[in-house]
Amino acid sequence: MIERAPISADPSAKLNINVNGREAVLDVPPSKRLLHVLREDLGLTGTKRSCEMGRCGACMVLVDGKAVNSCLAMAYQCEGKSVTTIEGLSEGGLTPVQQCFLEEGGYQCGYCTPGMVVSVTAMLANDPSPSDADIEEALSGNLCRCTGYGGIWRAVKKAIELKKEQTG
Amino acid sequence: MLLNRDTSGRRWRIRPDGPGKVTGELEYLTDLSLPNMLIGRVLRSPHPHAYIRSVDVSKALALPGVHAALTAKDVPGLNRFGIARPDYPVFCEDRVRFIGDAVAAVAAESDELAELALAAIEVDYEPLPVVDDPERAILGDSPLLYEEGNVFHRNGYKFGDIEAGFAAAAHIVEETYSTPRQMHTYMETEGGLFVPGEDGRLTAYSPTQHGFMDRMQLSRILAKPEEDIRVVSSPIGGSFGGKDELNVQPYGALLALATGRPVKLHNSRWESVRAGLKRHPMKITMKTGVDAYGRLVAHRAYVIADKGPYSTLGAEVLNFATEHVVGPYRFKAVDVDTVSAFTNNGMSGEFRGFGGNQAIFALEGQLDRLAALLGMDPWELRRRNLRRAEDPGPLGQPISVTGGAGQVWASLEGSALWRRRSEPPASAPSAPWLKRGIGAAYVMHAAGLGVGIPDPAGGRLQLRGDGKIEAFFGYEEFGQGLIASLMQMLIEMFGFAERDIVITIGDTDVVPDSGSTTASRATSMMWQSLRRLRGPFAGKLLEAASRALALPAETLAIGEDGIRGAKDGRLLLSYAALAGAAGQPIAAQTHFSYPTSPVDRVGAHYMYSYSAVAVEVEVNTLTGRVHVVDQYHAVAAGPVVNPQGYLGQIEGGSSMALGFALTEDAVMSGGHYLTKNLDTYLVPTIVEQNGAVTVDAIEELPEGDEHGPRGLGELGSVGLAPAIAEAVYQATGKRASKLPIDPALLQEPIRFN
Ligand code: FES
Ligand code: FES
Repeated sequence: MIERAPISADPSAKLNINVNGREAVLDVPPSKRLLHVLREDLGLTGTKRSCEMGRCGACMVLVDGKAVNSCLAMAYQCEGKSVTTIEGLSEGGLTPVQQCFLEEGGYQCGYCTPGMVVSVTAMLANDPSPSDADIEEALSGNLCRCTGYGGIWRAVKKAIELKKEQTG
Repeated sequence: MLLNRDTSGRRWRIRPDGPGKVTGELEYLTDLSLPNMLIGRVLRSPHPHAYIRSVDVSKALALPGVHAALTAKDVPGLNRFGIARPDYPVFCEDRVRFIGDAVAAVAAESDELAELALAAIEVDYEPLPVVDDPERAILGDSPLLYEEGNVFHRNGYKFGDIEAGFAAAAHIVEETYSTPRQMHTYMETEGGLFVPGEDGRLTAYSPTQHGFMDRMQLSRILAKPEEDIRVVSSPIGGSFGGKDELNVQPYGALLALATGRPVKLHNSRWESVRAGLKRHPMKITMKTGVDAYGRLVAHRAYVIADKGPYSTLGAEVLNFATEHVVGPYRFKAVDVDTVSAFTNNGMSGEFRGFGGNQAIFALEGQLDRLAALLGMDPWELRRRNLRRAEDPGPLGQPISVTGGAGQVWASLEGSALWRRRSEPPASAPSAPWLKRGIGAAYVMHAAGLGVGIPDPAGGRLQLRGDGKIEAFFGYEEFGQGLIASLMQMLIEMFGFAERDIVITIGDTDVVPDSGSTTASRATSMMWQSLRRLRGPFAGKLLEAASRALALPAETLAIGEDGIRGAKDGRLLLSYAALAGAAGQPIAAQTHFSYPTSPVDRVGAHYMYSYSAVAVEVEVNTLTGRVHVVDQYHAVAAGPVVNPQGYLGQIEGGSSMALGFALTEDAVMSGGHYLTKNLDTYLVPTIVEQNGAVTVDAIEELPEGDEHGPRGLGELGSVGLAPAIAEAVYQATGKRASKLPIDPALLQEPIRFN
C-alpha cells in the first residue's frame, strides 16, 4: 500500500516523482490520479484505463517496487516515490515474464496484458516460487476478458520454472 | 487431436502483434492523442423513458474553453444509426427511451471542463411510464415506446403434428429458462480520436468490427461522401460483438467537424455500461416430449427477448435463437414461436454466440431433464436423437455436410472426464459440504450472416516495391488473433517466411471491403480468399520471375525470401529483386460471398460447427458457490488454422460461458442499472478459472469439402453453461433454470448428526 504523504495546501505545489528511473517535476493537481498523470501528462499509455475503481488491474504499476492500481493512487500520494510502468519494465528488452507471455499465448487483445505483466513481475520479485494459491491471490485483481486465463496460467508457470532454472 | 502447445509443435507461433502487447508499446486507438485535441463528452438521459420538452446548451457554450455543444439540430444528415435498421438516434429530438440515450455532446479543452459543460446543459424532461418487463410490454395495456406497438420482431418455425407428438410421449418436460443481461466487458471501453483534415476529410480512429459499415453510417450522419471519411479501426482491446454497432463515433465525428480540431472520446466504464450493448435477456419456455425408447417426439418453444429501445441486430439474434432452439436433434414435430419486445431497459444487441447461448442453454436443459425422467444416460439420449451428417439443418434447410455432430459426440463419450462420472470418486470430498458432479452439453452453432443478408468477403495480395508481400483485408483484430492466423496461412499455404510478409487491416483507405469481422466468419473467409488467390498470385510472381531469370516458370517455386528452384529449393531471386525487375506492382484480388443455403428463409445458415462440452464442478453447499474443476471440449470446426488462436478461442469463450452461468448479470430495476462497474458486475477472475481445460480439435472433413475451417469464435462461449447446470444437478439434485445460478438455491443448512 502507498503510505500517505503530507497533503500540501499549496495548489501550485509540484509533484516530484521518479518514473522509470527518471526524475520528473510535474505541475499537476494533487488529487489527479496517477493513472492520468502517466497517460496524459507523461504519454505513458502502456498503463491502461478500464474500471478506474481498483477492480480490473489494467492500470497496474509498481510504486517503490509494489504493485499498485494507478487509478486509485492520487498524485500527492506519489510524492517522492519511484514508479515503474510497463514501459520501464521493457526498457532493457523483453523480460523473462514478457517472454513467457509471448511464448505461451498469455494474451489476446492485450489490453489487460501490461497490468498482468506488472502484477506477475511484482509477485515473482516478492516470492520466486509461489504456490497456485499464491498466484491466484496475486492475480485475482487483474481481469482478463479474452483468454479465460489459460495462457496466463501457462505463462506464469513457465516464468516460475525459468526463475528456478536461473537461480537453481 | 488434443490441442496444446506440445501437440502443435512448430505450428505454435509467437503472434506478430505479441511483442507490442506484452511491452505496452502497441498503441490502441484510445491511447492516441494530438497536441491540440479537445475532449468530447456525451450527455445522456437520466430517465429510462421521457419526453424532452427542451434542450438549452447556451450556458455550456458560454464557458471559456468549451468549443462545441451539439444537439439533434446540429446533425447535418440522418440523425440515426444502426447496422440493420437505422433507428438509434444520434441525439434524441423529443423523446428518450433508455438511460443510454444521448441528448447532447460537448467538446472542451479538458475532461473537467467537458464535464462542467455537460452539467451546464439544461434539459427539461417529462418522465413517462417505464416499460421494463418484456412480457408485459407486449400485452395490450402496456405503455408504448412506439405508436406501432412494443413488438419489435417475431419469428417462428413449425413442422410435424405437435399435438400427436405430445399424445404419443411417454414423458414430457415443461420448463421456463431465463438468461442474464450479460455484458461484453471488453477491457478497453469505447472511444477513439476523430481528426478533421485540411483537405476536408475526416479520419475516425475508433474500434469497430466492420470499418466500411462505420464509414457508410458516418457518411449518412454527416452528409459527407464516404470517400471523405477514413475509418481506422484496429487494434481493439476486445469487442465480442459489443463494438459492432456505432458507439462514440457519431459524436466524435460531429464534434471534430464542428470545431475543426481533433476530438478524443474515451468512455468511462459507467458510460460504457449505460450506453453499451448487452446480451439479450431471454425467457424461454419449452415443452418437450420423448417416447419410451427416448425418441424426441415433440418440441415446443416460446422465446421472449428483451430488446431494449432500438433495433441493433436484435431481429437477427432472435432469428438465430429460433434456429438454435431446434438445434441438432431429430424431432418428430416442432413448434417454435419467438418474439422480441421493445423495452426501456438497457440496449441489447450482438454478442458472441448471438442468441445461441440462450437457446442452447434451454434446449440442453430439456434433454437432461428428459434423460432423468427416462432413467437414461443423458449422453445416450442425445445419441439416439442426434442428426446424421446428411440431415437438413434445424430449419429444414440444406447445410454443408460434415460428420462433426457424431465426431464430437464420440470424443466426449470417450473422454476421461466423462468416464469418471460412472466411476466411484477417487477420493472423498475434502469437506462434507463440498459436492461434486459432472455434466455435459451439446452445441451445434452456425456461422455467417445467413440467407438474405449481404455477406461479402475477399482480400488482396501484393508484392511491394521493397519486396514485401503485403496482404490487405478489411477485417479487424480485436484480440482473437486474426493477424496471427492470416500470417500462419500465408506461411503455410504459400511458403513465404514471416519476414516476407506485411499485413494491413483496419483502414478503409487501403483495404478492400471483406465484410464484417463477426459471426465467426473472418478466419473462414481469409482461408477461402487465400485459396482463391494462391493460383493467380503465385502464377503472376512466377511469370515475372521467369521473365527476369529467363527460366521456364515450371522450374521455379515461391518460397521463403524469394523465388527458388523448384527442384533444389535454391534461392534464385529475392522478392525485392523480383519487384524491381517486374517494374509494376504484382497483385491479385478476390471478392466473393459467404456460402449460403439455397432456401429463401431469411437468416437460415449453411455452415455449422459442433462442440461437446463436459464439466466437473464442485458445489459448496454452505455458500452455494460453484467451482469449475475440469472441462473437456470436443470441437469439430474443420482444420486448425492457428493452434494458439484455436485454443484461445475455446478457453476464452468458455470463460464467458462460465460467467454467464455463475456470476454475470447487469442487473436493472425500473430501467436503471444497479450494476454500474466491475465491483458488482463480476467477470471470472483467475481464481474461478483455475481448473483444467482440455480441448480435442477434430479437424477431419468429408472428402472434397470446399469450405475449410469453420467458425470457431463463438462456439466456445456456448456449451459450458448448460453443462455446468447439469453438473450442479448431478452434485446437488437441484435444477437451475435461471442463470446466473443463484447461490441461495444451492445452500443447505448444516446438519450435525
Ligand atoms: S483501471 Fe485501475 S483497477 Fe481498473
Ligand atoms: S487479453 Fe484481452 S483482456 Fe486480457
